[in-house]
Amino acid sequence: MNTVIEAKGLKRHYVRGIETVKALDGVDLSIREGEMVSILGPSGSGKTTLINLLSCLDAPTGGSLSVAGKAVSGLSEDDLVEIRRGALGFVFQRFHLLPTLSVTENVELPLLFLGRPARRERTLKVLEQVGLADRAGHLPNELSGGQMQRVAIARALLIEPKILVADEPTGNLDKAAGEAIFQVFKSLAKQGLAVIVTTHNTALGYESDRVVTLEDGRIVKEERGGKT
Amino acid sequence: MNQLTSLPKYLSLASKNLRRRLVRTSLTVAGVGLAVAVAVSLGGFMLGYRTSIDRSIDMLGFQVMIMAKGCPYEAATMMLKGGTGLLYLPSDTYDKVRKDPDVESITPIFVGVGQKEGSGVRDEGSEAAFTVMSGVEASSFLVMKPWLKMKEGRGYDGGRWFDAKSETEIVLGYEAAEYEQRKVGDTFYATVMPAGKATAVQREFRIVGVLERTGTQDDGTIFLPITAAQKLFNRPNELTILGIKLKDFSSFKLRDFENRWLKLPEVQVVGLQQVKSTLIGLVATAQAMVAAVAVVAVIVALLGVVNSVLMSVYERTGEIGVMKALGARRGDIFQLIWLETLMVCLAGSLLGSAGAAVGSSLVEKALRSLIDLGVSGSIVLITPRLIAGSVAGSVVLGFFAGLYPAWRASSMRPVDAIREGGA
Repeated sequence: MNTVIEAKGLKRHYVRGIETVKALDGVDLSIREGEMVSILGPSGSGKTTLINLLSCLDAPTGGSLSVAGKAVSGLSEDDLVEIRRGALGFVFQRFHLLPTLSVTENVELPLLFLGRPARRERTLKVLEQVGLADRAGHLPNELSGGQMQRVAIARALLIEPKILVADEPTGNLDKAAGEAIFQVFKSLAKQGLAVIVTTHNTALGYESDRVVTLEDGRIVKEERGGKT
Repeated sequence: MNQLTSLPKYLSLASKNLRRRLVRTSLTVAGVGLAVAVAVSLGGFMLGYRTSIDRSIDMLGFQVMIMAKGCPYEAATMMLKGGTGLLYLPSDTYDKVRKDPDVESITPIFVGVGQKEGSGVRDEGSEAAFTVMSGVEASSFLVMKPWLKMKEGRGYDGGRWFDAKSETEIVLGYEAAEYEQRKVGDTFYATVMPAGKATAVQREFRIVGVLERTGTQDDGTIFLPITAAQKLFNRPNELTILGIKLKDFSSFKLRDFENRWLKLPEVQVVGLQQVKSTLIGLVATAQAMVAAVAVVAVIVALLGVVNSVLMSVYERTGEIGVMKALGARRGDIFQLIWLETLMVCLAGSLLGSAGAAVGSSLVEKALRSLIDLGVSGSIVLITPRLIAGSVAGSVVLGFFAGLYPAWRASSMRPVDAIREGGA
């Protein structure tokens, strides 16, 4: 399997007045296609900072990073978006579906930004993949939290990304819905997608192929997961 | 899929975003609508008033008036809509001026101010209920106003101009007849307050003709032979004005003519171009003030739009961050927010224009109740061109109003926007 993310000595420091906050301070990490990696750690350990860098939402202040074969270090936001477009799919804790758009329209939204035409059969196929084909015409407020998160996953998948990034995707879900979402992620990884998930839920995290634990901006533990 | 083909999708998305906060969007649209309604009404007034003055003056049929010395504005409005404070010329002025070699045609007119049937009629008055009684010489009057036609149809057939020597025959303007519900052959009573007399005198007249509608002051006028009018108001050797058409109506000739006749005592020569500019000038100051109010209203409305869209951008900070994460470029977000602003301005301008068009008669009534405009007929003219201009203007202003919110939204870094929005 090809490596899709390669980070070496990755740093993200913030300068606040005379103080420098080392949110991430020298992280080495590589992630391959078809691999699901969970990032664990207490609040403030740098999980979100790491995932923001790995997903090109933010640029590192030190070290080197390559995403989908492209070097990211030192790039501006306008350059970062070009790397994100089409290569990365995102799932967020609060789903962020547009309330006035139907499930189908929400799923097809990224295509508008990518300038690609929407194909209804492809949309339905992705919705089937997350088990929501029968909800295609519904509005978000007619769905449960778990269903909304599945729509968000379908939205991320429609553009056929190489990497799926999920920041606390189960944070707003009950246990059963959270487990179901993780099952979807595992199945996607088996299909060849690189999946990176941050979570506070250690039990769910260990269902991934690999578990990376952060503390104070550094990786303190890296283990194999794979519990089913 | 290029920008053009994706535009309908952006429009649809922008429209759905606006509907998410329906009350706020509606209030913002209403604000723009109100400002545009004010601007369109004002534009319609400026256009309509000018057109009305042009039309009213053209429909007088002559280019120059000779009248007793006084305020030229009063003189002009008296002829245009039957004003008050009438002054009179000696009748022999007519005989002197008609011999002027530059005069092509001339008509003498005696104006008295009347009232509705059953009320008193006197030669001067200030009540709105009074109506204009115009003593004319039909033959020369019709040379000036060849468009005056007798109304035909049941009850109006056989209409004609009065006999010049008659003291009882009258012709009613269209509205005067409608108001009094009189037809040809009917009797009309008028109570007259002759000059120098202490008591009113009631006279009986016979209607010999009713005029077609002209849209001018003539519609509300009661016409009678000039000699009869002079007798009625006990001013046998007086006239109100002389209407004159010159053979060569150039400014040079007019000045020449004016200089010649201004030598007569108690006489003023008023060119109708001068009347036009006097009337327009009198209203210009008021128009400028209202224009300033309209500009302020538009600016306030635009600030409201900027505020409303900015508020919406701040509320959707997280969502904008997510859209950027999903691949939206700066331009995509800019376009989306900018379209939302333009749609608000477009909807407001359409609403305001429609409101102004529908409410133009109310605006006209309000304006007339506030100021004496000196003309009859419609003074608020809302044309498709005016509406198109207002809508286009609003969209252009919306273009600028949308720049800052759109720039603000498109400049957000996704990582900050998602964090601030609580993703």
